Amino acid sequence: MESIGINWQLLVAFLINFLVLFGLLTAILYKPVLKMLDERSAKIKESLEQAEKIKEQANRSEEQIKAAIETARKEGQAIIAQASQIAEKIKEDAKGEARKEADVIIAKARDEIKLERDKSIGELRSEFANLTVLAAEKIIKESLDAQKHTKLINEVLEQSNSFKQN
Amino acid sequence: MSKLGCSSRLVVILSIVILALALASFTFGPIGAKLFGIQVPSVLQISKPHVSLPSEPIFHVGGFKITNTLISSWVTIILLCTLFYFATRKMKEVPGRFQAFAELTVGGIYNTIRDITGEKYARTFFPIVATIFIYVFTNAILALVPLWGTWGPIEEIHEGSHTATIIVPFLRAANTDVNLTLSIALISFCFIEFLGFSKAGTANYLDSFFHFRALGKSFTELFKGHVKAFISGLAFCFINIYVGLLEILSHLIRIVSFTFRLFGNMTAGEILIGVMTFLVALVIPSIFYGFETLFGILQALIFAGLTLVFGLMSLAPHQEEGAEEH
Repeated sequence: MESIGINWQLLVAFLINFLVLFGLLTAILYKPVLKMLDERSAKIKESLEQAEKIKEQANRSEEQIKAAIETARKEGQAIIAQASQIAEKIKEDAKGEARKEADVIIAKARDEIKLERDKSIGELRSEFANLTVLAAEKIIKESLDAQKHTKLINEVLEQSNSFKQN
Repeated sequence: MSKLGCSSRLVVILSIVILALALASFTFGPIGAKLFGIQVPSVLQISKPHVSLPSEPIFHVGGFKITNTLISSWVTIILLCTLFYFATRKMKEVPGRFQAFAELTVGGIYNTIRDITGEKYARTFFPIVATIFIYVFTNAILALVPLWGTWGPIEEIHEGSHTATIIVPFLRAANTDVNLTLSIALISFCFIEFLGFSKAGTANYLDSFFHFRALGKSFTELFKGHVKAFISGLAFCFINIYVGLLEILSHLIRIVSFTFRLFGNMTAGEILIGVMTFLVALVIPSIFYGFETLFGILQALIFAGLTLVFGLMSLAPHQEEGAEEH
């Protein structure tokens, strides 16, 4: 033991040395550096998580925007479709109205024409009857007396004058 | 064109000079003197390495001898503490060079330990294992600094018939003192056993040596009336106790192996460098300095690593035993 130099005093001194170094290094090296490393890794983790969250949020909002655009597009299309439908309807309605009115006018005109014709025919018929009567009378009155004869002629003349005047 | 940052001509000249120095110190050194009968010039006269296993006392304080290895270990401690004090004095989120160095040291050792022990026990092992590594490593590296082993008063000693002049250095490689290696070995041993008792539980830990539970089991066999099982259990129990004693012995032997592995390697390294310097004074010893750097790292790694592994084994003794049984 002596020849390799084991000496309890020295041993104790070296033990103390080691423990002193252990204590000092723990105080000035391990604790602060490990703390710093832990803090840093925590910070990195946190910021990564945050980045992930932000990314997610961005994705979500993008999707929302897309969805909003989609609904807006659909709504617009629906509105346009509705509007064209309404326009069509209005057009149809206007057409129908116009046709109806035209029909009414035509009918009225037809009626009027018919009335006029009927009237004309009536007048013509009465005129013709009169003339016929007159002619017949003339033929018949030949055989009658002169007085009456003259009278009849005058009357017819008068009547024809009045007819002319009419 | 040269990677060394100087012209190729300079490289050639430098290598010729180095080669010439090596050749000269070879031919005019003790080897040449023996081979060709040349007188060794005084420049190359280097004293034969004097091997003194106990460290040499430099001065006395009361009855206590302050030896050169003790001084050397103080230098190590002061150097480490100063370095890391300034490195970690003002910790910043974005580290400067010093702080980055400290972080690299701590982070590297911590990650290595965590890879072996897992997250749960890394903080338990870290301070002591890291201290062992840093201490042993720094001692080994400082021993290669020129002041170590060369600076000191010259003394004459008488060995039998002739006298020899030796240097008693003020600083000697701290790892070459058996007291230092023994002190770290004792601390490592205490740490390992403390872990066994405190973390695995006293009963579990003792049971891992002696298997008292098997004894209890064999007694329950007796109460059940299985006499044969009891007897064979009892026989196994004696074997177990014997194995347990061996186990305890092996734990104690760890102290010795820890001590002498480091002490032997470091002392051998010192002697090797001394002998090489004595034989070929120039150039060649540089190679051995490189080797010794490597051995310093290696021994520090072995010491710290074995402490770690033994500690882990005493943490989970039953898993160990289970693994052996299956």
